[in-house]
Amino acid sequence: MKKLYTIGVAAILFASCKPSADVTTPSTAGEAVFTNYLAVGCSYSAGYADKSLTVSGQLNSYPQRLFEQFETIEDGFGANGPFIQPLVTGDNGYPEPKLVLGTSSYCDGTVSLAPVATTLPLDSNGSWRYINPINNAQINNISIPRIRVADYLVSGYAGLNKYAQRFYYNPAQRPLDELYSRVYNLGPTFFTVWLGVTDVLGYAVAGGQGDGTGNAVPVTLNIYNTSDITPTSVFTSAYDSILKAVSSTSAKGALINIPDVSALPYFNTVPANGLYIDRQSYADTLQALYSTLSFDKVFLQGYNYYIIKDNDDQTRQAVPGELILMTVPRDSIKCAGWGSTKPIPKEYVLTTDELQNIRNTIKSFNAYIEQECKLRKLAYVDINSFMKTLSTGMAYNGINYSTEYISGGAFSLDGIHLNARGNALVANHIIKAINAYYKSTIPQTDANKYPGIKFP
Amino acid sequence: MKKHVITASLLLSAMTSFGAGYQLNLQGLRQVAMGGSGAAWPWDASTIFYNPGGLARLKGVQIYGSTMFLMPSTAYGNRDNSGTTSANEQSVSQTFTPFNLYIGGRINEDSRLALGLGIYTPFGAGLKWDNNWLGKYIVQSIDLKTVFFQPTVSYRANEWLSVGAGFVFGAGSVDFRQALPVHGAQGADIDDGQAHLRGTATGVGFNVGAQMKLRENFQVGLTYRSQVNMDVSAGTADFRVPTSLRDSFPNTKFSSRLPLPGVATIGFGWRLNDVTLQMDFNYTGWNSFDTLRFDFAQTTTSLNNVRAPRKYRNTFTPRFGICYKISNTVALMGGAAYDPTPVTNGFVSPDLPDADRVVLSCGITVKPLPGLTIMAAFEGVNSVKRQGNYDHAGFGGVYKTTAAAPGIGLYYSF
Repeated sequence: MKKLYTIGVAAILFASCKPSADVTTPSTAGEAVFTNYLAVGCSYSAGYADKSLTVSGQLNSYPQRLFEQFETIEDGFGANGPFIQPLVTGDNGYPEPKLVLGTSSYCDGTVSLAPVATTLPLDSNGSWRYINPINNAQINNISIPRIRVADYLVSGYAGLNKYAQRFYYNPAQRPLDELYSRVYNLGPTFFTVWLGVTDVLGYAVAGGQGDGTGNAVPVTLNIYNTSDITPTSVFTSAYDSILKAVSSTSAKGALINIPDVSALPYFNTVPANGLYIDRQSYADTLQALYSTLSFDKVFLQGYNYYIIKDNDDQTRQAVPGELILMTVPRDSIKCAGWGSTKPIPKEYVLTTDELQNIRNTIKSFNAYIEQECKLRKLAYVDINSFMKTLSTGMAYNGINYSTEYISGGAFSLDGIHLNARGNALVANHIIKAINAYYKSTIPQTDANKYPGIKFP
Repeated sequence: MKKHVITASLLLSAMTSFGAGYQLNLQGLRQVAMGGSGAAWPWDASTIFYNPGGLARLKGVQIYGSTMFLMPSTAYGNRDNSGTTSANEQSVSQTFTPFNLYIGGRINEDSRLALGLGIYTPFGAGLKWDNNWLGKYIVQSIDLKTVFFQPTVSYRANEWLSVGAGFVFGAGSVDFRQALPVHGAQGADIDDGQAHLRGTATGVGFNVGAQMKLRENFQVGLTYRSQVNMDVSAGTADFRVPTSLRDSFPNTKFSSRLPLPGVATIGFGWRLNDVTLQMDFNYTGWNSFDTLRFDFAQTTTSLNNVRAPRKYRNTFTPRFGICYKISNTVALMGGAAYDPTPVTNGFVSPDLPDADRVVLSCGITVKPLPGLTIMAAFEGVNSVKRQGNYDHAGFGGVYKTTAAAPGIGLYYSF
């Protein structure tokens, strides 16, 4: 019986000995120094989401996530707090109300879940001017929603953009001068720059209404229409000036390129072939209606391409690859004949030519950004390839992220900007590029920890 | 319009297995103590499971009962692409109690025919993670139980050959929880939804075997336990989701099939005076577990039937054991086995992060009274640390599982 007892003791010892799968390796800075991090960018870097700026959006921005991961560095070259973002004071949006999911009723009696402006009170009084809690007015994320690379050369820009106005030292200055002041004030050791998206996005969101060929001319001195694509020469010279400014303290950094904006949910939620014809007689009616127009017409039972107005003011049927904007009024399609008996107005359509303009521009902007990285020895973050991966679906810790509107899990309700999880995924992608370039070993964050879209 | 504004086709695509690799080789304490081997030698009434052919060679009628206390524990560490850590996790401690009941023997003392019944738990899995762990959208907890009922007939053809066959009726239950990435507008920032699938399953199969006494001190056993398809016909699928998604995730019924694999075994046994040596080789047909399916009675654009690839491979397991009879009342046993995993790379899911295992075991039997035998056994399982990915869900990490299983039982021979 003593043996039995021995077995019992062995069993208890064995059971109390837990397995270990500890794979901890230290977080190190490699060849970069992350003590003082500065983020420069546009809406994508400011934490802008759900078509507005909120405190929680800002606190879930990818620069915030990067800072937190830089803080884990244990070799003395990690980030030292605080990480100051020019926070707004409320969570319902500034200056416009943010989008939330609510119910919309349509002309045909259907009701569905849709993005609607929140009816909760805004806090514009608290948000219009940022009050810095730090004595030396340090700001680590000087990203400004909607700012374009081209805008960096516009004097008095803060007068045109409430987000710049909130915290600019001197609103009369050019954003480039403000950038020099901020860099001088902070003395960054590491920076990220993600600029240029808005230089193309404005054109796309306007349905390709400006000049798309890179020959836009300023409306007044240095100011380009927001629905134009910034001319490449303007982009490159302003971008270069921005890099000179951020590197003026010899900081290292990473440049983030421009994703193919046509892959955003905003342009891919309403399918171009969404015209549903339930009976042959109606197909014949449409065929007859457009018999005098010379475009190739295909109307069959089932799903058909919408009738659109293209950029030359021609009425025609959309062709495969063309995109309809998410903002097209649903009631007009459902009950007013848009897309069938009347063309969808051109500001809701990206035609093949317009898409080509967008893609050509992004290609040349990205080539320039990559060249700057080589020249200035900076890490190149190919967020464009990340967006491609995302658009085909990306399984990540049990969630299948994609660019699908809402169900894709990465974008906010405006269909353009990332939500908290999307921002964390972007932060991880940037960390990978930084680790590869600077031989650092900064851990990624668990993107699923952060909030997704909230359903009523 | 083809799409509504919202096509919340949220996933269950990552919904994964009941866990298979968890074959419990714990059907008899003596055999457990000898590395799980026992096809060649009719040690006691548990031969109804290990080799039905051995039943006709037992003396008298036996009533046998035993239970084990299985305490598995799994650790998980995540190593991201940059080679640094972002998580270390430990499964929640649980104790499972697989049991065995056997009754059987010759119908009378001189008969060549024996009858018996076995009730045992051949497969099971249970793993519970913290509800908020890194892999919560794949699995939060899983629990699979099976009980097999096996009426058995055995016949001793002559001095050296006996055969046996049993019909297997399997009953089981499954319970599976997974977080859903849908958050309500109320409450905490991260208030996940949850899918909870549970149901009962049944299946049938057989267990046949032959035992050959080739020499006075050398025996060979052959057995085949068939695949048993456990069918869940009307399981309950409940989804905890925000009110606006109620129609997208209706609480519904589901059906599924979990194939419990067939096992072919050849075993050898030598007896030299007080020492018995035995070896078994199992070939397990895990490749029947190719895809895990869940078919929902009601599907929506958000709730689709699940097809999760598993692609298990067949395994070959050697087992070795030794028994030393100290006296007429006491015997000691020891054994070892090497149990390779059926789970292939790319399919290592956190619901059953299986890896190659080394099994070490020991045990003792004592006969305090004529006819009565008391048994105790201990098995320790140690899996190799495995870096594995589950590509289907974009999840990977390092896993390490250990299990301790003490057991106790007795039988009485009439």
